[in-house]
Amino acid sequence: MKNSYSDLEKLKNEMLTCTMCGFCKNVCPVFLDAGWDTGSPRGRMTMAYGLVTGELEPDENLVNRIFQCTQCRDCARRCPSSVKCPEVVLSARRELVKRGQAVETQMAVAKNIIHTGNLYGDLEVAYPEQEGEVPLFIGCQHLSRPNSTKRNILLMQRLGIKPRIVKEVCCGFPLEVMGFEEEHEKQVERLKEAFSFDEEPILTFCPGCKVHLEKISGKKILHILQEINNRLAKEQIAKPVNAKITYHDPCDLSRGAGIFQEPRDILKKLGCEIIEMKYIKNASRCCGGGGGILTWDSGLSERMSMARIREAIATGAEMVVTACPTCEQTLKKGALKITEENGNKPFPVVHILDMLFKATKQSHLPS
Amino acid sequence: MPIVEKRAKPESIERIREIVGTDSVRTSKADLYVYGFDAGMHRSMPDAVVRPQNAEQISQIVKLANEHDFAIIPRGAGTALCGHNTPVAGGIILDLQKMNRIKEINPGDLLCVVEPGVICDDLNNALKKYRFFIPGPASSEAATLGGMVAANASGAKALKYGATRDYVLGLQVVTPTGEIIRCGTRTLKNSSGYQLEKLFVGMEGTLGIITEITLKMAPLPEKTAACAAAFKELVEAGQTVADIIAVPIFPAQLEIMSDICVKAVNKATGLGLPECGGFLLIACDGHPEAVKDEIRKVKEICEKNGAFFIDYTEDAKRIEELWKGRKQMLASLSVIKPEFSTVMLADDMAVPISKVPDAVKGFLEIQDKYDIYIPPYGHAGDGNLHTKVLLNPENKEHWLQAEKAVREIYDLVLQLGGTVTGEHGVAISKAEYFKKERADSIPFMRAIKRALDPKNILNPYKIFDWDESFLSNLRYPVEFSKKEA
Repeated sequence: MKNSYSDLEKLKNEMLTCTMCGFCKNVCPVFLDAGWDTGSPRGRMTMAYGLVTGELEPDENLVNRIFQCTQCRDCARRCPSSVKCPEVVLSARRELVKRGQAVETQMAVAKNIIHTGNLYGDLEVAYPEQEGEVPLFIGCQHLSRPNSTKRNILLMQRLGIKPRIVKEVCCGFPLEVMGFEEEHEKQVERLKEAFSFDEEPILTFCPGCKVHLEKISGKKILHILQEINNRLAKEQIAKPVNAKITYHDPCDLSRGAGIFQEPRDILKKLGCEIIEMKYIKNASRCCGGGGGILTWDSGLSERMSMARIREAIATGAEMVVTACPTCEQTLKKGALKITEENGNKPFPVVHILDMLFKATKQSHLPS
Repeated sequence: MPIVEKRAKPESIERIREIVGTDSVRTSKADLYVYGFDAGMHRSMPDAVVRPQNAEQISQIVKLANEHDFAIIPRGAGTALCGHNTPVAGGIILDLQKMNRIKEINPGDLLCVVEPGVICDDLNNALKKYRFFIPGPASSEAATLGGMVAANASGAKALKYGATRDYVLGLQVVTPTGEIIRCGTRTLKNSSGYQLEKLFVGMEGTLGIITEITLKMAPLPEKTAACAAAFKELVEAGQTVADIIAVPIFPAQLEIMSDICVKAVNKATGLGLPECGGFLLIACDGHPEAVKDEIRKVKEICEKNGAFFIDYTEDAKRIEELWKGRKQMLASLSVIKPEFSTVMLADDMAVPISKVPDAVKGFLEIQDKYDIYIPPYGHAGDGNLHTKVLLNPENKEHWLQAEKAVREIYDLVLQLGGTVTGEHGVAISKAEYFKKERADSIPFMRAIKRALDPKNILNPYKIFDWDESFLSNLRYPVEFSKKEA
């Protein structure tokens, strides 16, 4: 198998540049969970090196470790040598998928996207198609929640944004992070047929879509909170929140897109008192929902979300607010799991768009 | 000492599983491969990675190792830089990271008690509210206290605050034959016989496995002020260091960086330090009035020695920024040239403080003879200089040049009355020159090792027992024959 990892081989310099200083270990949620070096970014870099040199075979243990990475990218932020550890992991995943090492659960997700254009394989997605002034990319996660999507569109209209909505297909981000290279390329082609990138900027609800669409199109993609923050005025707030909250920065929105001030500004406008967690902004910790681990290792994902919820509870806040549908769902699972352990009411997890909708005008739609 | 394999056989590993539980033993190839590497230049695969939970389990494992004749390599975070964690004869890695409880913080007695796997910064975060701290190495956010004791690690604050050695009051240790002993005391001083707790400081895992540490704490200074100064020539910076100490002023930190280092930090951190031949970072801490007076004097000395740029600040945020750059120095250097990597060679020599300018000048002259970079920087205030060799790790010629350059560097250091290692240790990479430096005392060190570890179980073939060149067991994609090395 020696020298046959041509994709990974291109990143060999990253592996040799890594000084093994270990600064990546204590920011990695996977290492913090179990504490074995094999589960650290440095460990994954070493395993990738072993594959390149032909000293390691892609056995079950190695494959498992490579796919446990949540792609939160906190290792890359902390690395003093600017080593592209997340890219090495993605490259290793591509190599492993090519060798037939993908698991059934991830293949099922990939098939969903390929066959239906939708992450969940939902053939009955209701696309709220409409004419408008600004192109909007809703994203699979939000499309799977038609009621909240309707509210989000209403919210945009209240703020004077007229979104143009077409029948979109998945942006392909999940395929990329799970290592389905060929499928990802085809999905990007399908996306470009279904969705026009001619007009800029394009708005989106989803942090993952924001980062990925920008990467594949090279166009200006705005997360909806950037636009909302520009438009939201005090007089539009009918019912201030007046709560002590803490804010969970989604990895793709904070480290990925550098958007961590806008949601805080919005929360302040809504009358929230923000009590920060220990790990915030571009040093935020993963909720446990990234990089495909929800389908790879749900136990690990659950433990990560519980750790993040515990951090939120420790602030003394009444709830944790976030801006990503995956973070919201994953954190809710973590909160429920903690409830199973301590019998208390689940710690509230709220999407900032839901909070905005309620605060800007009373809703007559089901909540 | 010629290396004889001391492998752990499957039946030994099975017995270890019974002692610590199946989940605490890893033998998959990926695990063994990963644990074969650490932050040093060398590598070698262990036969198992074992994560014990307490001293009793470790004692049983050590007794088994004596019975079955396999090596044990204790390991903390794997941040050691000289091959300390490399299982050169096989055997098991004892991963102590999960023995990480802070057992006691006792401000009244000025001490704290920790397990070996506690990370230095985690302890300092816990000590902060009591207004105490333990001075740590640049790797304090990753390094464990067990490893710090075993390597007698220290960092930028050693001039004023000393090294890890100066904080160890007592230890619980599992000896190489499996006894659990306590040495030292819970008192700030003791004259009760041999200072055995100090014997285990700097032993690099060869004399015992540290299972509990009682540490003295230093008071957290009330105020810190910093002065950053840039000089046209590196020697001017070196002379400034000697002049500051001679006042006498003991800054909390006094760091020197050469031009390449400044470029590397700027590139990695975007700090925007001025390009120069020599850069000094100086911090004074303590009572606010004393700090003000000290930093003013420091500034004057910098000016007198020709500093063309001086950034003088009491702003905590700016101070943190400046030191963040310094803390990232080692790793930052690896981004200077794409195909070059930082390798842990000639990484921490120490010379008498007055010899810093001579050493720095000499290192630069040596660098000029070769195609590789050897940028000097370091904790100049305590005479501890780093060079770090930057080379293309796939280029054999670079390694051979490095070997020659390192030899010249160490010869110069010894000639100036220095030591080959101020804070990282010996293990593999410095063994050859260490033996030259400590020729007189090596028979005594060896006698201690043989007496305490008759079967050569604990981290064997390191320090005085490493007879090969540092070019063997490299973790990089080059190989050298015995003749070449």
